[in-house]
Amino acid sequence: MARIKPKRHGVVTDMTAMCDVTFLLLTFFIMTTQFKKPDVEQIKPPSSISEKLLPDASLMTINATPDGKFYFQPVENATERLELLDKMGQKYGVTFDNNQKAAFQRVQTIGVPMNQLRSYLSLSEDEQKNFKSPKGIPMDSTNKQLVDWVEQSLSVNPEYKLAIKGDVTTEYPKVKSLFEGLRDIDFLKFWLITSQEGKPNE
Amino acid sequence: MAEVQVQEKGGKGGKVRSKKNNPRVDMTPMVDLNFLLLMFFMFTSTFSKPNVMDLGLPGKPKPNDPIPPKTEIKLSNSVSLLLGKNNRIFWHQQDNTSLTDQNLAETSFDREGIRKIIEQAKAGAADKDKFTVIIKPTDDAVYKNFVDILDEMAITKSERYGVTDLKPWEKAIYDKKVGN
Repeated sequence: MARIKPKRHGVVTDMTAMCDVTFLLLTFFIMTTQFKKPDVEQIKPPSSISEKLLPDASLMTINATPDGKFYFQPVENATERLELLDKMGQKYGVTFDNNQKAAFQRVQTIGVPMNQLRSYLSLSEDEQKNFKSPKGIPMDSTNKQLVDWVEQSLSVNPEYKLAIKGDVTTEYPKVKSLFEGLRDIDFLKFWLITSQEGKPNE
Repeated sequence: MAEVQVQEKGGKGGKVRSKKNNPRVDMTPMVDLNFLLLMFFMFTSTFSKPNVMDLGLPGKPKPNDPIPPKTEIKLSNSVSLLLGKNNRIFWHQQDNTSLTDQNLAETSFDREGIRKIIEQAKAGAADKDKFTVIIKPTDDAVYKNFVDILDEMAITKSERYGVTDLKPWEKAIYDKKVGN
């Protein structure tokens, strides 16, 4: 009796199709990934149960560091940034040369008062990265430059959205002064950036 | 696996055959690598986005606006939360005459503490639809406390809440309590 041998199947699978698919997806994700730019100062946002992700709208960001300094990050759009710089310059009587304007289009965040902005923009990019602002953008009852940045940005394009990123240990009075300033210019809806926390199971 | 074609050597005086190339290339390592990169890009693109929390502030009354009628919130229908220093939190349901340092109670920022208080106060409220939480961060509070308490509002689904400053009489009791 001849034993019937089970037919041996080859283990070779054609991977070409799979390879095609993975390449396709890979290209897609490479194209869509935007790497996070390094922050000027380390900010650890508080956690919340909110699951909403930061939308992709034209966004300006205010960073509040643990010691209560404010940094302003204007929208990415280069032409609108120029307009913003012009408006701020007019308001504070500061003029910028072309190099400084170009630098402003590339700048990551602003953390200096208006009167120091020119010298800050004249620094090279590496120096800007390592520049730790001693004071940040002034924000108190007499000198509301931070709110002016927001207001002027909105006058360039009223569609802008604002996100506020505060550190866990930022003192509340600092945040309060910012909120009050935003209420003064009637800008009432914005987002607080938080980190993810599990939803509590009741 | 990669197939290696073993060329048969030999055959005396066999015809020299044109070499047949095997067009199959083993793709497995390539697919592996692709998947690895794919994972990397997928995760970086989803995790780089921070979460956000909506915040709407009440508008400031304009000088020429008509003065709105005063909205008095009944004490039993509200609870005041005082965010103090060193992550401490106090609550009370009293007014300026009845608040003492005994009934300004301290609690904690967790499920057993503040969430219970809010739920209890809500259950005891006379008009549940109008139950209001009044959040009063002191100058000693930090930003985290503020976000935590807004979070707590979302968890307990308290839609009516307000953020204001401490009244002087509350401040006095609070200062006594924390020993300022």
